[in-house]
Amino acid sequence: MTTSTIAAAPAATQVGMGQTAVAQKPNRLTAVLGSCVGVVLHHPRLQVGALAHVVLPDSSGRAGAAAKFADSAVPHMLELLGKHGAFPSGMVAKLAGGSCMFGSGGPLQIGEANIKAATLALEAAGIKIVGRDLGGSCGRRIGFDPETGQVTVESVGLPPRVI
Amino acid sequence: MTAPTCLENPRLDVLHHLFASATHDASAAMCRWTDGLITLTLDEVREIPLEEVTEELNLGDELLTMVVLSLDGDIGGEMILTFDELNGRELAASLLGRPVGANPQWTELEKSALTETGNILGCAYVNAITRLIDHELVPSAPYFIQDFGASVLQQALMAQALTSDKVLICRTGFHKAGAELNWRVLFVPTAALRGAMENALHG
Repeated sequence: MTTSTIAAAPAATQVGMGQTAVAQKPNRLTAVLGSCVGVVLHHPRLQVGALAHVVLPDSSGRAGAAAKFADSAVPHMLELLGKHGAFPSGMVAKLAGGSCMFGSGGPLQIGEANIKAATLALEAAGIKIVGRDLGGSCGRRIGFDPETGQVTVESVGLPPRVI
Repeated sequence: MTAPTCLENPRLDVLHHLFASATHDASAAMCRWTDGLITLTLDEVREIPLEEVTEELNLGDELLTMVVLSLDGDIGGEMILTFDELNGRELAASLLGRPVGANPQWTELEKSALTETGNILGCAYVNAITRLIDHELVPSAPYFIQDFGASVLQQALMAQALTSDKVLICRTGFHKAGAELNWRVLFVPTAALRGAMENALHG
């Protein structure tokens, strides 16, 4: 599912698993992340941005919500932002999430795979990553403000960070 | 014990029968553990798109207290018992025969009481499923987590998300003296365990 908050949107929109949202000031986008990765694209001059809640690293041609997979989420976000006049040359990216919530054991290190895949997808699109809050074993609640480009990150037992 | 539910296809009907039986066993175990205080009902079994899970379960960005049991292996999964802070505190206090603790930090004894509750509940479910599929499921030692409920659920759902765009949800209600409690069991089988359960009941 894709939602756009450009017009008549609430102040903060929660972006669920596999969803993408676009927002312009004064609206904000939020997400709660575990092993998923939140990919933020921001165009500082236009003060518009998008947040994708990426669940898995690779679509391998599988159908489904574009934002569910890192490799399809980034092109999808660029397409949505392009409709609002924001193009990759003026954009920066921030990444958060990719935790391993159940400890470090086991072969399915999906958080780590999501981080690598999202990083590769952004590099392929030529977008610089200017902020990261990744890995570990705690959940994160993030809030993206398209006016400033700031992404606030909250985790249990830790002070809030801004990337 | 089991409330009516809206089933969309025969596969879910099969799984509903299985989980109703497992919930019955879990309820009996919970009733013994809490001296008759707490019972369970299976309220719903259905599939929903992955994108709708957080909203459907109304997890939002709520901080929860959880006990997690992992079932390792291909035929495995995750079982998570969740409470809000108040309900978790009240259960621990009740089990320990003490007033609800005022200290915001959980003591080791309180954590242990909740972890043991998760163990008893999880083992009741696992035993019921093991009997059915004739394959031994070995749960990990339960562990205590306080985090965002949605964050923990994401990790648990990965095994299903890798192979399907929909996830199986079994909604369980907890009751104390007829009143519903804000507790939940989130059971997320791997695709292989889910297949084994369906095959066992079809066979």
